Order: sequence, then C-alpha cells, then structure tokens
Amino acid sequence: MGHQISRRTLFRTASGLAVAGALGSALSACSGGTGAGSTSSKLTMTWWGSDDRHNAYKKALATFQKSNPKIKIQETYSGYDGYFDKFNTNIAGGSAPDLLQMDTALVAQYARKGVLAPIDEYVGKTLDLTGFAKTLLAAGTVDGKLYGVPSGIGVNQLTVNRSGLEDLGLKLPDREWTWADLKKISQDVYKKSGGKIYGVDDGGGGALQCFEIFAREKGETFFSDDGTKLGFTSATLQEWWEFWAEMRKLNASPPPAITSAAHNDLTKNAVVIGKALFTFDSGVYGAGGSITDAQLDFLPTPQGDWSGAREGNFVNGGVLLSATKASKKVADSVKIMSFFAQDDTAIKDMQLLRGIPPTEKARNLIASGLTETDKLNMANADYISQRVGKATNALPAPVPPPQGADQIWDLLFQSNLAVAFGKKSIKAQLSEFFDQAPGILGA
Amino acid sequence: MTTAKTDEVVKEPPVPATPSDQRERDRMRRRLARRRGGGWWPYAFLAPWFIGLFGLTIYPMLDSLYLSFTDFDLLTPPQWTGTENYERMFTQDPVFWDSVHATLVYVVVSVPLKLALALGVAMLLNRDLKGIGLYRAAFYLPSLLGGAVAIAIVWRQVFGGDGLFNDFLAWFGIKGQDWISSPDTALYTLVLLAVWQFGTPMVIFLAGLKQLPKDVYEAAAIDGASPVTRFFKITLPLLTPIVFFNVVLQIIDAFKTFTPAFVISNGSGGPLNSTMLYSLYLYKKGFTDLQMGYASALAWVLFLVIAGFTAVNFIASRYWVHYDD
Repeated sequence: MGHQISRRTLFRTASGLAVAGALGSALSACSGGTGAGSTSSKLTMTWWGSDDRHNAYKKALATFQKSNPKIKIQETYSGYDGYFDKFNTNIAGGSAPDLLQMDTALVAQYARKGVLAPIDEYVGKTLDLTGFAKTLLAAGTVDGKLYGVPSGIGVNQLTVNRSGLEDLGLKLPDREWTWADLKKISQDVYKKSGGKIYGVDDGGGGALQCFEIFAREKGETFFSDDGTKLGFTSATLQEWWEFWAEMRKLNASPPPAITSAAHNDLTKNAVVIGKALFTFDSGVYGAGGSITDAQLDFLPTPQGDWSGAREGNFVNGGVLLSATKASKKVADSVKIMSFFAQDDTAIKDMQLLRGIPPTEKARNLIASGLTETDKLNMANADYISQRVGKATNALPAPVPPPQGADQIWDLLFQSNLAVAFGKKSIKAQLSEFFDQAPGILGA
Repeated sequence: MTTAKTDEVVKEPPVPATPSDQRERDRMRRRLARRRGGGWWPYAFLAPWFIGLFGLTIYPMLDSLYLSFTDFDLLTPPQWTGTENYERMFTQDPVFWDSVHATLVYVVVSVPLKLALALGVAMLLNRDLKGIGLYRAAFYLPSLLGGAVAIAIVWRQVFGGDGLFNDFLAWFGIKGQDWISSPDTALYTLVLLAVWQFGTPMVIFLAGLKQLPKDVYEAAAIDGASPVTRFFKITLPLLTPIVFFNVVLQIIDAFKTFTPAFVISNGSGGPLNSTMLYSLYLYKKGFTDLQMGYASALAWVLFLVIAGFTAVNFIASRYWVHYDD
C-alpha cells in the first residue's frame, strides 16, 4: 500500500468536518488537532490508560531520555474513550504520532491500511525481543509481518470481589470451574446477600471477554480464519443468549439498566458499584472506584461443561507499541519499544500496568515488588497460560480481528441488551444479528 | 476588479464649461478618485473572509459532496462508488433509521416544549419588578452553559440510577429507575436538557414583548378581555414574527444536536441506539468506523432535510405570521 497522506487527502478530511461545520458546529469538538506531529522535532508518543499507567510511562520515559538525550519525546495520553477517534483524525490530518500504544484488536486493521510501519528489519538489531514467545509475538503480527511489540501477556479473566464473597460466607470457586459453577455461585450471591447483590455482570454482550471463549469451547472461532466472516454458528449464539437470559431471570446477573450504564464506563461496572461480585471486564482492576477496599482475586473464564468441550481460553499480547508508517522517526521509536521490552527500570516501572510482562526475566524482576492483588493477578494469568500451553484440544490463538470487528462487538452488546430489555425475542435478535454482520464485515 | 472601468467613467469627455463648472467638476473628480482609488484595497481587507468562505466552506462542501459518492476510510484514497452510500443508508442500515427516529422525536418534542417554556417565562419576566435583571440573568444562565460538556456530565449524574433526580422522587415515595440507561427514557433526558436551556429564545421573546404596543392592551382591558383572551388575541398574533424566527432557529439547532447525546451516552448513542442523534451517528461513522464517505452522504442528507424543513417553515409562515406593516 504505502500510501502517504497527500495534501488532497488532508483537505478531504477537512471537508468532512466542514460539511458539518456548514450546518453548524456539530463537529467542532473534534477538530481541535494540534497539527504538530511528525513535523515537530520531537518524537510524539501516545497511549491510553489509567493514571497509574500514565505515571509509569512518564517515569520510564524519563529514564530512557537520560541515556538517549538526543531523542526528545512529547507524551500525550488519555483514557480509552475517543483515543482511536483522535488517532484516526490525526492520521488523516497528517499529524499522526510517531509511536503509539496499539490495541491488539485493531492492529490488523491499521496494518492492512498502511498506517503502521513493519518493524521486522530492526529485530535482533536495535529491537531486542529475547525471551518473547512466538505465540505472543503473533499478537502484533499481521500477514507475516511484525507491526508491534506486545507489552505483556493478556488473558481473559474474571475479576472477583473476594472479600465480598467471603462476607457472604462463600468460597472462591476453583480455577477449573464451569459455566454451571458460575451460575450456581451467582445465584448463591443473590440469595445470601438478601437480594442486594447479583452474582456476575451480564456477559451476554461481552465479545472478547467471554463469548469468544464460549465459542472456542464449542470448537468455533469468533471470526473465520481469513477474518472476513463470522466463525460461529447461530446455534452457539442462541445457546449463549439463552444462558444469560436465564442468569437474569434467576437474578444471578443484574438487570439491563445496570449493564447498559456500564457500557464504555468502567466506573459504572456492576462490581465497581457493588451490585455484583464477578465481572468479565478486566479493565475494572486498576480502575479503582468503590472496590478499592475490597480484596480482589482472579479466575479464568469458566470451562464448557458439555461433552467434547475444548479449552477456550487463549493468550494474547496485552497492548502493543507500534510505530506509524508516515513517521520519520521509526528507528527511534523502535529503540523505545526495545527499551520497554528489556530494560530493567522500565519493566519495574510498568509493573503489571500493561499486562503480565512478556518475558520470564521481566516476570522475575517484578515478582518481589508486587502488591497482593498484583500477585494474585499474575498467578492466575500464569495458570491460564500454562493450561492453554498444555491443552491439546485448544484452537489456535485467534487471528487479528478484521476491519469492522469493533462494530460487530458493539452489535453483540446491543443485541444482548435488546433481548434483556425485552425489546426483541432471542430468535428475532439472532436473525437480525446474522443479517447485519456480513454487511459490516464486507463494508 | 473593476478599477479600469471606474477610471473610464471618471474620464468624461471635456465639455465646454464655465470656470466655476470646471472647478466643481474637478472637485467631484478628485472626490470620486479618492473614494474609488486604489480599488484593490477593500478587497484585500475582505480577503480573509473570502478565503474562509471558499477555502473552509464552499470547497470543503463540494468536496464532501464528491466524497459522499465514494468509499473513503480517511487513510487510503477514496474509491468512487456512485450512489452506493445513499442506497445503503435507505435500504440496508437499520441504525440510520434508529438515528432518524431518535432525531425526529427529539426535534418534535423538544422544540415546542422549549419555545412554550421560553415564551411563558419571557412573559413572567416582562414586568417591572425589583431585581428583575437578576431573575432574567438567572433564567438565561443555563443557555450560557449551552452545549457545554460539563453540563452533559452533570445531567448524566442527575438522571443516573443513583442520581439526584431519583433522590428527589424518593421524597414522594416514588422509586426511580436509571433514566439514562433505559431505552424508553434516555432520549427524554436529552429532551429535558434541551428544554431546560430555553434562555436564548426567551431573551428574543422578551425583546419582542417589549415592543408590543401598550395602548392595544389598555383598550382590550377596557373592553373586558380576560388575560387568556389578551394572550391569544393580541400577544400571540403580534408576536408571530418572533415566534417564526425562534421556530426556524430552534429546529435547525435541534437537528444538529451532538454534544449532550455524545456525552450522556458515552459516545455510544445507547442504550439500544435510543440516543443515537443523527449528528452523533454521523460522527461515529466518520471518525470511529472510518467511513468518511458514508458520513459525508449522511451529512448531505441532513443538510437537505434541514433545508427542507426551513423551506416548509417559510412557506407555511405566509399563513400564520403577521407583520404589522
């Protein structure tokens, strides 16, 4: 592809803004780019995260600059909301950051559009990836080329309010638990709490965190291997929605208003507001909020309890650091990636803030300094990755999601909500889902 | 530039004249030359406006018209697809219809309510009370805060499940719900926010009310017309030009509403697309889903719809707007 943003393309972006502008200032909120970017002498780096992650990045980068005084870094950071909207606008306007934190779910889309720079040529030279497992690097590999360095092992796990569970006289389930166990303990939570607390937040619309694993347990993938179609059947999704409809009926899961409020807003998550004790949203840990005084713990996503169930969990790459193709400072960006991958102080600064560190060496480095919750988190992630590694019946790790994947996930979320609010029957929503999905993926 | 032509106009053929005529004509010529001289100067001063008009409005509008016939993802060059975007919008995009529905409900419910409240409050404030300026300012205040993100965030808190509004209802023993995350009520929290910001039309109504002739009211009062009669027979008919002005502006404004929907739904337009106002959908398509071609098509449809509504308003206004001349 190798397309660079021309002056004309840039104008086109402006025009999109301007039509809205002509109608008023509807879009003025998003036109506030700085226009600096690659023309500046500084290397621009951007990431999303919590305050803790911001501080860790800044601390690590300060160390980097001490030994690399020639590379001046301009840091921009924010929450996840709007992060990629801004990135899209910046690319189109020719002011993309040189180096950015990339979502493993979106890397394929950006790589295929020629936005990201392939970095294979630096591996083994300025980019030291010693200790990185091949399966882990797959998270940043698109069509055979490396477009990003994974920050750590990412696993899908449930975050559990363990002390809340203990207060109700319930025990933390075993890591080898099943969906039936989840249903059982969630009902117990509701009963023992006198109807004040539901068990687990509604996972019926949660794409990566739970449905993808459920589908894999059925031997199906979320997207087909070539990434152009859905990989799961209508029957699987139907079973999934029926499971959650029953969970809501049993008060094992909260009503849809709570689920809906938590959409895009971690502070409204059922566990954070104290309305549930189990959540699939791994972002909750580290988001703080009202659960800070609770002791959290972590569990793998439950296993299938039917015969022939397969290992559904998988390991991916946390977040990635990627360089943009239009950047003139790819070599410098790669140095920073290498620094975050291998440097002792950087590893210690980042702790678990970007996932469980990717290498054995890094995990040993931080092991002693971890908080209690971090230790539990790492232990569970270790457990999952070992179980996945040993599993003989697991499907290969998912392919990087295709363009439109985020719209499919949103559709899944909205569909589950439509069922939960009673606006649609499961049957009707199923056919709507399978009607709309191909159009989104084909667009 | 018309410099050359004006010079010609000034250079009239010499006609026989008396000396005083000649002096008079010289003076005229000098004055004209001064007024028209250096003909490019005014244009230089106007240039920023022209650059803005053509560079930032006309050209981008035409370009977006072109883009609306293409598949353009912001990152790679646009591909011509003909009317595909428009066809997709009307035939294959259920979310488009959700957004049309949400927007129409929003416009149709919020504009009349807002104007009625604005007129009502304007009439209350149209009297000589002590500290009336303070009251007027207080009622106008919400509009100053206008499309502010902060207000939308406050709104989200107020109408959330554990928000102030439910606390308020609890006083009366009513158990509230989460108004913002229920698809049946979420849009109406946006309507309420719009209605609450009635200050701008109110100020305009107030200005209109101040101009109404007092003697008509005195005459009506002598004839025994009740306040209600006076309102419907005098105030409203005399005020129709102002009402018309406000209706047109508020409808256009309502169609373009973006910020509160974006903030209150966390950018999702949810729950179940119930707050997916058109501008929000357009934004999502263009900047989140990278479908700028489609977003351009959406923008043009919005433009035409607003133009249509405004035209209908102007035509209908012939039948109900009374100018006193």
